[in-house]
Amino acid sequence: MKALFDFMDKNIGPLFEKGGKFERLYPLWEAGDTFNRTPGDVTPSAPHVRDSIDQKRLMIFVIYALIPCILFGIWNAGNQFNMNNGVEDATLMTDILRGASMVLPIIMVSYMVGGIWEVLFAIVRRHEINEGFLVTGMLFPLILPPTLPLWQVAVGVSFGIVIGKEIFGGVGYNILNPALTARAFLFFAYPAQISGDKVWVGTAKTAFDNNPIFGTVAENVDGVTMATPLAVAAAVEKGGDAIKAMADQGFTLFNMTMGNIPGCIGSTSVVAIVLGMIFLIATGIASWRVMLSGIIGCAAMGALFNVLPLDNPFAALPFVYHIVMGGFLFGIVFMATDPVSASATNTGKYIYGFLIGALTVLIRVANPAYPEGAMLAILFMNVMAPLIDHFVVQGHIKKRTAYARALNNA
Amino acid sequence: MANFKIKKGFDVKVIGKPKTHVEEYASQQLFAVYPSEFEGLKPRLKVKAGETVKRGDVLFENKKNEKMLFRSPCCGTVKAVNLGARRFPVEILIEKSAEEESVTFETYTRDSVGQLSREQVADHLLNTGLWPLIKQRPFNKIADPETAPKAIFINAANSAPFQADFSVVLKGDEDAFQTGINALAKLTEGKVHLCKTAGSDIPEFGNTESHTFAGKHPSGTTSVHINRISPILPNDTVYTVTAQDVVLIGKLLSTGELPRTKVIALAGPAVKEEFRQYYKVEVGASLEPLLSKSLEGDEVRVINGNILWGGKVANDTAVPYYGSEIFALEEDRSRHLMGWTMPGLFQYSSHRVNLSSVMGLGHEWKLGTSMHGSHRAMVVTGWMDKFQPLNIMTDFLVRAALAHDTDEMIQLGILETDPEDFALASFVDPHKTDVCGIIKRGLEEIEEEGI
Repeated sequence: MKALFDFMDKNIGPLFEKGGKFERLYPLWEAGDTFNRTPGDVTPSAPHVRDSIDQKRLMIFVIYALIPCILFGIWNAGNQFNMNNGVEDATLMTDILRGASMVLPIIMVSYMVGGIWEVLFAIVRRHEINEGFLVTGMLFPLILPPTLPLWQVAVGVSFGIVIGKEIFGGVGYNILNPALTARAFLFFAYPAQISGDKVWVGTAKTAFDNNPIFGTVAENVDGVTMATPLAVAAAVEKGGDAIKAMADQGFTLFNMTMGNIPGCIGSTSVVAIVLGMIFLIATGIASWRVMLSGIIGCAAMGALFNVLPLDNPFAALPFVYHIVMGGFLFGIVFMATDPVSASATNTGKYIYGFLIGALTVLIRVANPAYPEGAMLAILFMNVMAPLIDHFVVQGHIKKRTAYARALNNA
Repeated sequence: MANFKIKKGFDVKVIGKPKTHVEEYASQQLFAVYPSEFEGLKPRLKVKAGETVKRGDVLFENKKNEKMLFRSPCCGTVKAVNLGARRFPVEILIEKSAEEESVTFETYTRDSVGQLSREQVADHLLNTGLWPLIKQRPFNKIADPETAPKAIFINAANSAPFQADFSVVLKGDEDAFQTGINALAKLTEGKVHLCKTAGSDIPEFGNTESHTFAGKHPSGTTSVHINRISPILPNDTVYTVTAQDVVLIGKLLSTGELPRTKVIALAGPAVKEEFRQYYKVEVGASLEPLLSKSLEGDEVRVINGNILWGGKVANDTAVPYYGSEIFALEEDRSRHLMGWTMPGLFQYSSHRVNLSSVMGLGHEWKLGTSMHGSHRAMVVTGWMDKFQPLNIMTDFLVRAALAHDTDEMIQLGILETDPEDFALASFVDPHKTDVCGIIKRGLEEIEEEGI
């Protein structure tokens, strides 16, 4: 191993350094080199020691937190497909294989296209390749329906990375969460493939789908129609019972917590998300303040709608449903806590999280045209985060001046 | 008198704590004075290579204030004046002669100092070359003798590894310390605050108000003391001076000649265990003989200061004008396989992403100078504020400094700070931002613009 590294340092590294043949491609070499081994740089000045944490480790740990969601999402996509296409000899194995055949291409396209943009911008703008895109490239597929055409994945991730992030200067400078920007773009540009009731479960249409290793599938010309819990709840007529309407479709509280329901790839299972959440909080990477206040905000708004005299069955849903339904929990755990686009002050984090929770429920209930309120709520609060911080900082300045004056007069 | 408990903070656990034993360090032939130690100073040289100087002769003066003189720590021949960029004299080397001739100054007793006027004390210190020991805030620069400060803060505390413990340094010099305090007290209409670490056995001194500070680093830094006792308001000036330097001033006043010795701590993981202790050294004397036998390791970084704050110095440095500790640690250029995912049992971290910090390994670490990662764009996360007891919103202050927003910097409290206060922020930052450098530049900008 050491010999290999020595060889690379001696013979390949210099090609990419200043004056080398591939000088312009230095970010690529740097990324690969520091992927293999931490850089050997020493502190230029005081403080003379540094913490061993770096951005690579930080970002990879977010990916680790996503693993339960990824694995569950793969199984669930396959399971939903097999259940709804009448595959009789489906097993756990075929579920996983089927799911993998649907989900992995989306993840790969997201990483490849996103990676190309990231590298391109790093080379043109001469900065190092930022690990932030690892997280964006994984978050984005997890909030897509498993049937999304791959070209749309490519277009979406391009929009998210370029418009959502790189035109501002890259990770650290962006205003919006790039993965959500990408999804919002697809949502408004190609609504047919990302909303409605035909996109959440794959349909056996092609010869490929009849491949024997996935199980026996009959051709299904009409396509599978499966709504998500949010759509079901929003569609309940006045005077109806939303809980019953959902339970009729199989969306009981238990099922929605477990996650074996149609929905976006990674965001259906509360259990998987909570596993990731525990990991993020235990390692101290993501802000528990945002998560906690977000859940409180969601619950508070849900409870408020319960007591308001509205003739709207969606509003009458207990708040627990709002927490487990749709993409809210995934959003508040993985999207809202993105440190770049979230509020940075502690007080600001509480306000920011609370409003995301409250707005999510508000959008869901008051505006049934957009059943998924979490995406819009988070994007809206991303925009508002600097304003929240501004007021918190101003309040802080007032307090600290008062403190200084009081001590001086004492 | 007040006792403060600082809640936020972080102690870097590093091996190499000095024993409290003070050893006499044999007299040296070679002495050196480093004009570059005085930040922002424009020196006018008064000596040339080859000239002989008496102990206490003027070596150079401040071009901007010709009353401010800098004097020779020994009697001998100027061996060389080494110039750096733009012909700035970086070091003045002096070879000690066998015979000693000294310039003498007026002597005072503990009490007769009290009869002097403010101007007399200031002029005496300026003339004898000890005035630069007194710094002023904001901007932490050599105090302006013309402005009377609202208070003077004497820092006798220590919290960073391994700042010299003043109770060790003080032993036997209590009288000189009191004389120094009495002189300082003449410089202000306000109070003289003596700030100590909680639990240290430094006795009470007259003419001062003493305070104790408990808690992790940075409970021992002057900025924290000022912030808790009497925060700097716009147009305020305070003087700050370290306790060890007050002893030097006291010695000057009571003996009538430049102080000969001071006590320094030699510590750090790259110092051999038997040498990790305090040394009574001659001011300005070369430390080369001591360092050459006491350091171990392939490539050692010597710091005039502690592990968190202080400048790199050469391995043959002389006893500096400022500071009472020398820290040595190894340059760590090692590269770790897939550092981004390893459990991190053997990597020191204050974050919970390393097993070492999760498992609460309380032991001390043999730390090196590795960056442990590459630089990335700064993200305002609030992490830099994690260990910041000053009420300044570190992340936002750094952002304001990056944006050259002087108004916001001042509002957030940059004037209360010194780059030193951001050492822990630099330490914890996963994006490897040079926080101290950014703040230093911010302070310089404000100073240029004027407040």
